[in-house]
Amino acid sequence: MRLPEISLLCLTIFYNCKGFCQTRFKDVTKEAGINHVFKVYEGMFGGGACVIDYNNDGFEDLYITGGMNDDVLYKNNGNGTFTNVYEQSGMTITKEYVTQGVTGADVNRDGFVDLFVTTITRRNRKEVIPREINLLFLNNGNGSFRNATIEYGLGDMYSFSTGASFGDFNADGWPDLYVGNYFNEYKGKLSVINDNTVVEANQIAKGYLLLNEKGKKFRDVYADYGLDFRGFGFGGVFTDFDNDGDQDLYVSHDFGYKRTPNKLLENRFPKKKFVDISKESGMDARINAMGSAVGDYNNDGLMDYFLTNIKFNYFMVNQGPGKPFVNKAAGLGLGFFAISWGANFADFDHDGDVDLFVANGDLNPNCVAMADFYFENTGGKFQDKARAYGLADYGIGRGSVTFDYDNDGDLDLLVVNQAPQMDYPVESFTRLYRNDSASGNWIKVALKGVEAESHGIGSKVEVEVAGKKMIREIDGGGSSHISQNSVIAHFGLGTAAKIDKITVYWTGGNKQTVTGVSSNQFITLAETPLEKKQGVPYSIIAMGLVVVAFAWFYLKKRRIR
Amino acid sequence: MAPLDFELATAWADMSTYITKTTPANSPTFASRCFGYIGLTMYESVVNGFPEYASVAPELNGLGNLPVPEKDLRYNWQLALNAGQAEIIRNIYIQTSDKNKAKIDSLENDFVERISGTVKDKAVADRSIAYGKKIAQLIFEWSKTDGGHRGYLNNFDKNLVFAEKAGCWRPPLYAQSFSHFPLHPHWGKNRTFVVADSLIDPPEFIAFDTLPGSEYYKQFIQVYEKEKVLTQGEKEAAIWWSDDPDVTFTPPGHSYYFGTIAIRKIRPDLPKCAETYARIGMAVADAFRNCWKWKYQFFTERANTYVPQHIDQRWESFWPDPPFPAFPSGHAIQAAAAATVLTDLYGDHFSFIDSAHVGRAKDEIRNTEFKARRFDSFWQAAEETAMSRFYGGIHTQQDNARGLEKGRIVGNNVNQLHWKTKS
Repeated sequence: MRLPEISLLCLTIFYNCKGFCQTRFKDVTKEAGINHVFKVYEGMFGGGACVIDYNNDGFEDLYITGGMNDDVLYKNNGNGTFTNVYEQSGMTITKEYVTQGVTGADVNRDGFVDLFVTTITRRNRKEVIPREINLLFLNNGNGSFRNATIEYGLGDMYSFSTGASFGDFNADGWPDLYVGNYFNEYKGKLSVINDNTVVEANQIAKGYLLLNEKGKKFRDVYADYGLDFRGFGFGGVFTDFDNDGDQDLYVSHDFGYKRTPNKLLENRFPKKKFVDISKESGMDARINAMGSAVGDYNNDGLMDYFLTNIKFNYFMVNQGPGKPFVNKAAGLGLGFFAISWGANFADFDHDGDVDLFVANGDLNPNCVAMADFYFENTGGKFQDKARAYGLADYGIGRGSVTFDYDNDGDLDLLVVNQAPQMDYPVESFTRLYRNDSASGNWIKVALKGVEAESHGIGSKVEVEVAGKKMIREIDGGGSSHISQNSVIAHFGLGTAAKIDKITVYWTGGNKQTVTGVSSNQFITLAETPLEKKQGVPYSIIAMGLVVVAFAWFYLKKRRIR
Repeated sequence: MAPLDFELATAWADMSTYITKTTPANSPTFASRCFGYIGLTMYESVVNGFPEYASVAPELNGLGNLPVPEKDLRYNWQLALNAGQAEIIRNIYIQTSDKNKAKIDSLENDFVERISGTVKDKAVADRSIAYGKKIAQLIFEWSKTDGGHRGYLNNFDKNLVFAEKAGCWRPPLYAQSFSHFPLHPHWGKNRTFVVADSLIDPPEFIAFDTLPGSEYYKQFIQVYEKEKVLTQGEKEAAIWWSDDPDVTFTPPGHSYYFGTIAIRKIRPDLPKCAETYARIGMAVADAFRNCWKWKYQFFTERANTYVPQHIDQRWESFWPDPPFPAFPSGHAIQAAAAATVLTDLYGDHFSFIDSAHVGRAKDEIRNTEFKARRFDSFWQAAEETAMSRFYGGIHTQQDNARGLEKGRIVGNNVNQLHWKTKS
């Protein structure tokens, strides 16, 4: 009789597992009330998520695009659950569009975050040329939004747009935009198109560089700022790769090995100019770049860039000013085969270095299941622990975002998944994971910009603990895959109870520090504007000169008389 | 001064390949079909001026007799050719840019001016132009029913349900195109130019197997091993023949250009120039049509699918995958079809230099230059075309061998048409 032995063995395994398999991340999708899946349009792309506290209640909410499904606006109820308030949000016009990515910033500086949703075509009718306008929604401050697309000059930009990023490249405090386009913009009427217009439309495209004109309008300054490239654009991120205080732009392109590679564009602020330094910086990755994660994995104060790709991802490690980046993916334990889209750096386990989550998924309608990655940073090298930690989901992953939805001090994770178009071995839907793994101390820092962008988008926060410096750049969107993480800087502090110093490097060059901050708290740092130089303002000098001139003229006249 | 016959014919062939290269959303399938109709139009627009040559229209698949010139009236056959070429290219490439359309008009007008200067009777000139145009229009009308008309609007069928079987094609991960759907899945149902071409038996295919040592496995291990030892010369061949539809005149355009090379070297009379392009055009068109029929019948994977699964996960081909199934090779079948007709016309030993891509910027990713290639026969070029896809890692030897084999049959069927009157 061997049967009892086998049962006993099974039981032992079961028991061991119960004790041992306490997952570090718990899938709380269902219990949190998240019920979302992105439905793809004709095997194309999407979707993304944006972390936004739209009602300023201190609990971060979510906007997630749906593609051929409706988008959702998940209000965080503050008790671990979300309610979809999309129908009352004032944004239901998105139902008419195939939405792709989403990003948020306080466009008009009224203290409430506004949303920008990219689209590729109409949802309610089939168009010969897929293209549509992107949608800008201004936050009314009362829990609803209004469509401000036309008012802001965006009503005739008929494009096939993927991802968008907010940044303040002219450092005037008004968040600007970069929008990635995959196919050509076509402005003409679709009722009068001919075969030529159709075949021309399906070509690589320019992006949009949209300058925010004092919160009133956006103006495309792509050519004015020296940009002229076309590519299969997946958007980009504004990021200060060279620590010179202004926001540079890193653009992701699909099919970089065949058409246009990724672009690193150095901002020459205060000149109105971006300079293409892709080649000399080694950042001209010729890959199917789907997105990027920005983070300083080795705490050397320099931002590193993880680029998602088909087959093997790139990890571009910053070597310092003037030196080309080096792809260290394979050497650092990140050389795994997958089709990757979203990626996020965060110190999930509070040990003082950033870990990396990567969302993977096949190219619909192809439906080979592949698990997501979770790379734990173990002293400067990475180890995939997705399976052990409960993150090896086999859904068709796309955009992913980190945020602290339950305000317990650690970063949780949301992964947007697509619905499979063919038979699929597992369920594929958007998942929310609660982080139960963090045991160390932490600090969360929100920024309140006065001269800089109002939530500090693009600014950097540096935390110094026992001689160790950690730095975060505030995410303006376009990160991960066409998504946007929380704008609250989060740091794991290990056992440290006190932070020696926090430095904020505001976009525009302002810098301020606070010292002796206790850990395990959420603080907001407001910008102290640079004091104006003492002295007589130019206007008064000018007025004075006019007075002197008049007096002199008057006296002269009198003397002549 | 009127152009020499060969100058006129090759100028229009240059225009045909230029339009192919510079019209967006092009594909080797659609391009092959265009060369078929453009070449045929060239021939039919002049054939009645030369008693030793015969129209092939009645033998083609449903075209029927084309109008013959009016008896006892004079024609200028250069003007007829000129008008016919402009008309067919304008119609069949209706999707090309206004700039390209202006180029076609300009070439047509230049030749009209040059040729008309030597034609004293304006009625002759007008009649010739009208005749050429008429032939082009009738051929274009016939083309509309072949299944490929305006095919560039339906490059990818987004409702296609893929076959699911072991060894089946998968959307490439190292791809030439953004499409996850395969190109022109219904192209194999198109009408062939030559009836006999639609009756060719499918090629033999080695059955799927994952066992090392199996014939199937061997096909892929060869591709895999080759990639590791590619010489610089083989790399040059791989990029030379890639003939990417996004930036070049496509593989059938390369074959059409071989006609131009032969004609510029031999300088034959007008009907032979036209016959050359008609034969090549229809040969590559039928070759592609059959190839696509078999590609979707077998629906087989490429090395980029098989090798990572069964041999080496990190492997990637030297050249990216095109968006369609592997077996048999389109490059091979069309190259063999063209070589078969060119050899029949110009002989077994024909040395030439292929400068199709000279002047193109170096391929930086692969550190490989575009260098002119020298061949001693059309078959040598065809075999290199096929082999180059093996070097590129996107075709197995059986894809190539079966492609060459079937292309030869297609070419022979085109040769068998009655191009000459019985003496």
